[in-house]
Amino acid sequence: MAPIVDVKAAPLPFADVQPSPESEASSPAPLISEAEWQAKKQKLEKKIQKYRWGVGRGDEAAIIASMRDLAQGHADAAVQAHWNNRADLFARWPEFGKAWKNIAQGIWILITADARVVNGITPTATPALSLSSSMTCSSEDIVLHEDHMETDNSDGLALPPCAPTSSDVFTTVHTEFGHCSNPDYRYVSQHTPGTPVLAHVEQDPPYYILLSTYISYLILICLGHIRDFLGKRFHPSSYKHLMPSDGYAPLNSDFDSFYTRRLKTRMDECFSQPVTGVAGRTIQLLNRISPDYNHNQILTDERTRALNISSYNYLGFAQAQGGCADAVEAAIREHGISSCGTRLEGGTSDLHILAEALVARFVGMEDALISSMGFATNSAYIPALVGKGCLVISDEFNHASIRFGVRLSGAHVRMFKHNSMSSLERVLRDVISQGQPKTHRPWKKILVIVEGLFSMEGTLVDLPRLVQLKKRYKFALWVDEAHSIGALGPRGRGVTDYFGIPSGSIDLLMGTFTKSFGAAGGYIAGSKVLIDRLRVRGHSGPYAEAMTPPVLTQVIASMASIMGVSPAGCTNSNGSSSTINQVEPHDHAFRAPASALPSWLHLPSSLADGSEGLSRLRRLAFNSRYLHQGLNKLGFITYGHPASPIVPLLLFNPGKMNMFHWMMKDRKTPIIVVVVAYPATPLVTSRVRFCVSAAHTKEDIDTVLRACDEVGDVLDLKHGLRKSDRWTMDEISSRALELINM
Amino acid sequence: MTSNIDAVSALLAYTLHNAEVAFSKIPGSAVVVRYVKSSHQNDPGRTILELILAAFAIYTLLQSRTRAERNGKHFIQFTENEIDELVDEWTPEPLAAPLNAVEAADLAAVPVVVGHNGPKPTLVRQPTKIIANLASYNFTGLAGKDVIKERAIETLRKYGLGSCGPPGFYGTLDVHMALERDIADFLGAEAAIIYSQGFSTISSVIPAFCKRGDIIVADRGVNFAIQKGIQISRSTVRWYDHNDLKSLEDVLDSVEKERKKRRGPLTRRFIITEGIFEKDGVMIDLPKLIDIKFKKKYRLILDESISFGTVGRTGRGLTELYNVPAAKVDMLVGSMAIGLCAAGGFCAGSQTVVDHQQINGPSFVFSASMPALLAVSASEGIEILRSTPSILTRLQQNIRVARSILDELECITIPSHPASPIIHMYARKPTAAPGLLHPSSAAHVPASSKPSNPASVLPRDAATWDWDVDAEERMLQLVVEEALRRGVIITRAKRLRGQELVEARPSIRLALTSELTIDEVKKAVKIVAQALKEVLRK
Repeated sequence: MAPIVDVKAAPLPFADVQPSPESEASSPAPLISEAEWQAKKQKLEKKIQKYRWGVGRGDEAAIIASMRDLAQGHADAAVQAHWNNRADLFARWPEFGKAWKNIAQGIWILITADARVVNGITPTATPALSLSSSMTCSSEDIVLHEDHMETDNSDGLALPPCAPTSSDVFTTVHTEFGHCSNPDYRYVSQHTPGTPVLAHVEQDPPYYILLSTYISYLILICLGHIRDFLGKRFHPSSYKHLMPSDGYAPLNSDFDSFYTRRLKTRMDECFSQPVTGVAGRTIQLLNRISPDYNHNQILTDERTRALNISSYNYLGFAQAQGGCADAVEAAIREHGISSCGTRLEGGTSDLHILAEALVARFVGMEDALISSMGFATNSAYIPALVGKGCLVISDEFNHASIRFGVRLSGAHVRMFKHNSMSSLERVLRDVISQGQPKTHRPWKKILVIVEGLFSMEGTLVDLPRLVQLKKRYKFALWVDEAHSIGALGPRGRGVTDYFGIPSGSIDLLMGTFTKSFGAAGGYIAGSKVLIDRLRVRGHSGPYAEAMTPPVLTQVIASMASIMGVSPAGCTNSNGSSSTINQVEPHDHAFRAPASALPSWLHLPSSLADGSEGLSRLRRLAFNSRYLHQGLNKLGFITYGHPASPIVPLLLFNPGKMNMFHWMMKDRKTPIIVVVVAYPATPLVTSRVRFCVSAAHTKEDIDTVLRACDEVGDVLDLKHGLRKSDRWTMDEISSRALELINM
Repeated sequence: MTSNIDAVSALLAYTLHNAEVAFSKIPGSAVVVRYVKSSHQNDPGRTILELILAAFAIYTLLQSRTRAERNGKHFIQFTENEIDELVDEWTPEPLAAPLNAVEAADLAAVPVVVGHNGPKPTLVRQPTKIIANLASYNFTGLAGKDVIKERAIETLRKYGLGSCGPPGFYGTLDVHMALERDIADFLGAEAAIIYSQGFSTISSVIPAFCKRGDIIVADRGVNFAIQKGIQISRSTVRWYDHNDLKSLEDVLDSVEKERKKRRGPLTRRFIITEGIFEKDGVMIDLPKLIDIKFKKKYRLILDESISFGTVGRTGRGLTELYNVPAAKVDMLVGSMAIGLCAAGGFCAGSQTVVDHQQINGPSFVFSASMPALLAVSASEGIEILRSTPSILTRLQQNIRVARSILDELECITIPSHPASPIIHMYARKPTAAPGLLHPSSAAHVPASSKPSNPASVLPRDAATWDWDVDAEERMLQLVVEEALRRGVIITRAKRLRGQELVEARPSIRLALTSELTIDEVKKAVKIVAQALKEVLRK
């Protein structure tokens, strides 16, 4: 994180201390000319700013000297005192470093204190020094080392909007994981028992929107065909790759690629944007331009930092600094990069065993297995369970990996209407009574596959009803928790936790580590019998590479910090003897035993006691709910459950996708968004999909809401609430707490 | 009575009138009325026809797609009570059967490495000191390179670990693009695309290009991932005998004949095979294959998962070994997880081939991109291979040493190519004639016999295969355990029995590495040979 100092605000306090023209006249002549002094001052300010960013460390003496020099160079006593003060503060830097046993942390404290001087707050006692020093902070965590790091905060992303108070100690880089210490901006993600599960409601836009959407597509398709028709006649060379040539059929026929060429190319600037750095709260875009209508995208050498409300970084574990990254570094030194082979042929390491045990404990199942790719977890393990004579009943909006796996399995497939349990029940009654097609033999197995949280809709599966159906119809249930694990529930254990349903009532819980855990790959958890069978019969075991040690470690570290770690020697029964502050829902039954972690893995105390994990869960729940309710109150049509960190905002007209994307990116605080359209969604319901993260602060969500508010007015997107029920942006921002408790 | 009828007709007339008024208020209704009137006047039959059409359209729209099966002739109408009874009666099979004793023992026998995997790792519950690891894929020793680790840590500190998104949505990092460029440059291809898992790469590349109606001609011995890719592509498949290019030509001819006979349109045609086969270590004759492919105008999808990073002067794979430009292979698929000790897989080819996959490769589009530090490790691995050809020389030396010992053995046969970094060993049956040992020795089969049926994946001599899979696997497992007792980790080639298209013969698979000295390899392979002799003699 770093400079907690509000650079934007920094020059302002100087207005008071800078000699005004009148006072200058009365004071004795300065030792150097005012212009020269100002130039010197500016140079020094730049140097200090760079120092905040980590450039020129070890060069403190020079800064101190310059400060004293500056103080002497000015005639005004106040200015002299100011600079002497700052110089004194800087002179104490070794002291700061020593107190924290960590230079980087010390420097951070130093610049915070310096900021107070700049802002005219007298440093009574150095507050940070009096803070508990049990706060450990390994590595050079708080200062970014990026040469091209922007040293200004003109986009409002690098620094928090208000200077932190003395009680705030942030161990994260603000651009990766935003600083937010307000305990009000927290919420618990939990289903209220007894209330019905919110169904998937599709709000219809006014008819003119629907009509114009259809007409837009019609025009696009007609234009495309006309261009193809003319192009083939007047410019055949550019169609060469679509035509048979030299006895080869084209790799891609002009018909199959029509949609890609004529519709998607128009909005290619919204897709595959190359980025660099951490996909955290902000992300750095590699700017690109297209000289030929998106046929070629050329990277310029510039970068833009943008607010990232698009990455699947629900709990904000995408971090280059902090406890998890330190653990990964240790793992690379201990275990290397590769696990060298498949799980069954010499690629299994002790980390796999530990991680699998931890995952099983996390989701509350007997056993779990880990696969090195999320997509392959579905596609390679579904065929191990079902085959000929079996039936898979799948939600119509299930992910491509599930369809891929089901197709490989050779089982029969039936679909039911998205998240409609009555539709599922109809299908179930139908298939059980009819049996297999033609032969009418009973099905060997029926496997129902649903997602916990649907990635394009933000809908939450109606698990209570589903579990009831399961009892009645005896089918096996596979829940894909790719998006919900870590993101939902008071303890982050996914949909089962959210609804308070024991995991045991579901046969298989599948999930990925890409999203909430900032890692990669996936897992399946279930009974020991099932998982052992999958280990032996799943495609990944003998043929696919095992997960690598760095990724495994990230999984272990992030998962353990959500769970909290029981101190060594402290068993589940005598939890009360624990010295760590008891965090209410983190009872020991749900904690990770210390033995579940590799011996060389040491998590910082805030991660190990689960307090940070808990705060991340609460922040995510708040942010999700706030963005959801905020957009609704502004009058937008959104889909999905308020608890869902995926918030789709409906755009409808295809032309608005490009515009929305561009208008959000082109703001003073650039915001990057994901726009999705047909074929990922139904034709009319093009949407923008926000993915909220615990790394966002309330101010970030405000920024997004404000941007949507303005862009929405321009693009005519507010077709939800009636005008009289809407709130203004300022109302939403100031009544946020009221809003999320609605 | 009449008053009733009057009232009803009055109401009807009133409603009709109202409807008429309402209809006339709709803009453009007059045009419709005029059109209907005039068309009825000209051709009264047409009005009826149009009415029927409209009714049919409404009927079709109201038909729910998911309930289409209700109208099939096999549908039986039940009452709700009957359905309830059937539901009560239905008992599904358990989702999975518990492991039997053999499977459980197999699973328990899987070696678990503590800490760093490498040429001499430590194993869990293993008292003896390991002197050599001939099971893990670490061919060029990149897994232990400190340079790579340092670069990985640097990357971690800049990018974090996960990329948190699919490539289409802010998951494309500059390091991914750099790796794609590095691979393309290394191979001499125009472009390359990376996938986040090696195994999933080819099963995604195949369906990206091969669609229903296209023709795939594939080797009978292709690996499981290719089999799955072919299955999901729904293309027409023809098989040729394992590593038999003569058979390939015959099959291509027969496909062409078939097409001419049916006067079918020109469809995409692909040859799919492996460089060095994962199944038995056999190597293809690439120059000849390329000749055939150009002659018959097929595209070639070549899986170099085993050969990339292990053969050729600097590990560029078969194209380097045979000095064939990589650009002549249309889709060259390899694995960074195996060849570069990182993770993921790649497909190299022309820019068109790569661009196409960016939208059509299922496991590229729908999966998160690989972690930045693994991509950088792969790039660094390429750099090391490029700059130190001595690694490959050492690897080949070790392979030769191992082969010189193993080739002496009476009790086994080795199908693998002498340069293959993986060495498969079958137990030789004392009674079996040498020609019947394995389909890979196709050359031994008398030329007079009938060619195999290209439509069937089983070769013609499948009926003569007489090995007992279970017994051989048990026996080879004993060898594995015996070798481990003496400090050498080896493994059986693990297979999904019953799921592969062709049951592979049980084998022991050695994976050589450049990280062991010649003496160490000699010692280790001698131990393996000793174990083989002792167990197989029984």
